[in-house]
Amino acid sequence: MNIATVESWIEAPLKRYVDEVHAHLALLLHPSGQVLAQAGFTREVDVMSACALAAAVYATAGELGRHVEGRAFGGLHYAGPQKQLFLAPVATSRGTFVCLTVFDDASSLGLVRLYFAELCRDLADAAPPLAARTAAPSFMNFEADLNRNLAALFGRDEVM
Amino acid sequence: MTPPLRPIVDGLTRQRGVRASLVVSEHDGLVIESSLRFGQDGDRVAALAASMYRKARLSAAAACLGAVAFLQLDADRGRICAVGGRNDLVIVVVAEPGANVGLIRVELFKALEMLA
Repeated sequence: MNIATVESWIEAPLKRYVDEVHAHLALLLHPSGQVLAQAGFTREVDVMSACALAAAVYATAGELGRHVEGRAFGGLHYAGPQKQLFLAPVATSRGTFVCLTVFDDASSLGLVRLYFAELCRDLADAAPPLAARTAAPSFMNFEADLNRNLAALFGRDEVM
Repeated sequence: MTPPLRPIVDGLTRQRGVRASLVVSEHDGLVIESSLRFGQDGDRVAALAASMYRKARLSAAAACLGAVAFLQLDADRGRICAVGGRNDLVIVVVAEPGANVGLIRVELFKALEMLA
């Protein structure tokens, strides 16, 4: 499966996770919708759409959780007839990210949750220290940042 | 209607040499009921044992061997035994190396009948 990351420290933990859970697709994104890594996608437009939708679902589920039990839900699982998705936050020293995993009957929710916990630990360990932290995405530069990240993921020259 | 699962797993864990017993969803790999001795990670065992059982069932079907009756995995420091029924449920036992597998097998099939 093709894996591409904007920052190199994400690649090894994400590859291990995707391999262990036999994921069809995986995305790591900032809660704003900025993509950080993808696995299994072949088209930029699909990554953009998936990031936007995942960020929206994460924000919605978080707010719903705060209404229902006073805090955001930890993870979200949806089981379709053939494919399932798992959406959950990953906390690192670089901030909280969101991971979207799409899997089918070759895996199970139990396995995804098990290896997702390991992914969280691996990413927390691999994340560069706070001193080297890059600026969080700002809405002023959102489109430019998005284009830069997509260009990095799909190995093309950036189009402004 | 599914019978109460707690007495089933408690009965299995009372067997000599049994460290943990779990009723697991084969499809989801999630624990439905468990009885664990200290030091066992139920979620981890459930996810991996359900995956193993499912792959064994699919392998048996691919080789035209019929249904999987009893699955046993021997490791250096213990063994995992599992049986599954017609529903999605799998009963998993984690046992010490010296445990009586014959007795565990009998008890697992009894437990499976209670689940049917």
